[in-house]
Amino acid sequence: MTAPSLPGERPTARTLLPAPLLTAVLAALAVAGAVARAPESARVPLALGAGAGALLLTAAVAVAVHATQNARITRRRLEAVTLDAGRLLQDRARQSAEFDQERVQLTEELTHERARHAAELTQERARLTAELEEERARLTAANARLSERARRAEHERSTALSATANAAGRMQALATGMLADLRAMEERHDDEDVLADLLHLDHRTAQAGRLADSVAVLTGARSGRRWARPIAMESILRGAMGRISGYRRVRVHSACEAAVAGHAAEGVMHALAELLDNAANFSPPTAEVHVYVEEVPAGVIVSVEDSGLVMGEVQLRRAERAVSGDDAELGGLTGTRLGLAVVGRLSRKYGLTVSFRPSARGGTGVLILVPQDILVPEQLADRPQGAQTLPEVVGAGAVEGTSAGTAVRAADTVVRAPSAPAATDPSTKPDPAPDPVPTHESPDHSAATLPDDLPTGRSESRSEGRPEGRSEGLPDGLPKRRRGRALAEAEREQRERVRARAAETARTARTSGVSGSTSVSSATESTGHAKPTESAGHLRSTGSADDTPTRAIRFSSFRQAVRGTLTDQSDPATPAVETTTEVTPEASTPSHTHPTPEGDPTS
Amino acid sequence: MSRPGRDDSPDRLYTLTGGRAHATPDSPFDLVTLVVAECDPTTGMQSEHAAILRLTQQPTAVVELAAELKLPVSITKILLGDLLAAGRVSARHPRRAAVPDPDVLEQVLVGLRNL
Repeated sequence: MTAPSLPGERPTARTLLPAPLLTAVLAALAVAGAVARAPESARVPLALGAGAGALLLTAAVAVAVHATQNARITRRRLEAVTLDAGRLLQDRARQSAEFDQERVQLTEELTHERARHAAELTQERARLTAELEEERARLTAANARLSERARRAEHERSTALSATANAAGRMQALATGMLADLRAMEERHDDEDVLADLLHLDHRTAQAGRLADSVAVLTGARSGRRWARPIAMESILRGAMGRISGYRRVRVHSACEAAVAGHAAEGVMHALAELLDNAANFSPPTAEVHVYVEEVPAGVIVSVEDSGLVMGEVQLRRAERAVSGDDAELGGLTGTRLGLAVVGRLSRKYGLTVSFRPSARGGTGVLILVPQDILVPEQLADRPQGAQTLPEVVGAGAVEGTSAGTAVRAADTVVRAPSAPAATDPSTKPDPAPDPVPTHESPDHSAATLPDDLPTGRSESRSEGRPEGRSEGLPDGLPKRRRGRALAEAEREQRERVRARAAETARTARTSGVSGSTSVSSATESTGHAKPTESAGHLRSTGSADDTPTRAIRFSSFRQAVRGTLTDQSDPATPAVETTTEVTPEASTPSHTHPTPEGDPTS
Repeated sequence: MSRPGRDDSPDRLYTLTGGRAHATPDSPFDLVTLVVAECDPTTGMQSEHAAILRLTQQPTAVVELAAELKLPVSITKILLGDLLAAGRVSARHPRRAAVPDPDVLEQVLVGLRNL
């Protein structure tokens, strides 16, 4: 490192000039003296040489002076630099000493601080640990207490729930029994005043039963009662109406022939009752509630329209949520508004779809979709449950038939009997039996003498046979519109069937009553339309397909399945029946051997 | 307490008649009044009405109708009163038979005893 050269340290002209000038002057003087003394001849060369020598000398002196000065300056600067370096070293040593000292001090402080903090931390940790332990112990105790309380509450709740369900079930049983009692009393008492009182009690009891049903549904108990057979939609609606207070204001508009399967009938009835009750309660006391029933491919839609309060958007949404059955909690229940929650439970259980909308009547409309899978088409709905045990049923029918009086009356009974396997009757009635005189036969005998009827009664649902029977006994029976078929079609079919039946009767008159037995067994699934025996009519749904060309597709598979099993079951019975028939052909009294529902009060 | 039967109907009687238990005062029906249908059942008709119309294609007594419908006679009378008011049935009393011949009665009695 070179120290910056100070201006005063550079060799200046003033310090450089005196020595060379002096030398020059002396040299000039010497040259001038020498020249003056020298001879004339040697003067010029001497002057030249001496002058040159003098110049050289002067230059040398100047260089020497300059060098000397430079050396002196350099030496001085070196000394200064050395001095500086020493000072700097000293400074550094001093500073490092200071740093060391500082560091030691800081380290010491740090150690102190750390120790202090560690101590504090330990103390704090100990304190916190202690607190934590305390808190944990407290929380554990609280948790145990609360869980104990929750367990007890849960236990109490389930106990209360099951007790309530149990009590509701007993109330249901009581109400059902009372209703049966009342019905029996209504049968017994002819006095109209007594009957009016009994009907009043009946109504009250039905409402009480509905309340018990509601409680049972909400507590998850089994629904009230299970019907052993499908219940027609008309009865469903009337059963629902009968359980509400304002049933007189309900107007039903229904031509629906579907029926609800027995296991679901009570639930559907109950749900409808709740909705009808809502509609009746939230409309003016004089306004009517209209119920429309419509069959759609998805099932049956029951719409309940009132002209009462219009539900707001929020209320509609709340109602929809309540009936959706999504929240099965009992939390939001109030004692007086059980209905929609009940409907929700029931619709969840049976797959009903309930929706609310403003009604064109000015109030609220409720749509209930009863799904297809709990519906039974009317043809199957009236099938008696005792169809498989035909002899007993036939026996009961025989008794009833004889009690009914004339043969004509018995024929009518056959046609109308609500749940009789009437398929046996239409086939036998046209039959001009060899012995048309009514005879009092034992049930077994009469069953044995109905060779034609046994298989058909099993292989055919009742209402399929019903129009035919009516076409015999009652020439112009009510045309039955089946699901998925227009009424006009049904009427046309009815006329065709009447004609076919007339021809059939004529032909059957020639043949004996026994001849039908073989044809029945052979024609169960074949094309039996042209065959003028009974089997043609019995197998109308399959054999005489041209009679019913537009059978609804969605039921055909179901019917096939049902018919298939029934035919299979009836097959083994056929041969035995035939043999029996040949023994006693004259004894057949078809018009009196119609079956009736078991429990028939007249039997 | 009687047990509910398997084939009970869910219909309560008061729903069949809309709550009425009294026949109209001028009701012509008694137990043996013969009823004849004046028209055929139509679709959408109450099923009991339709059943009555089917049953009364031939003249039928009220008591028989009640038995067939499995309804109390009073209820049947109310239903018949509705149908009569609508002109769907007509009613007439059975012809008064002459005083029964005692011989016939005796024969009947003998026949009954022989049963």
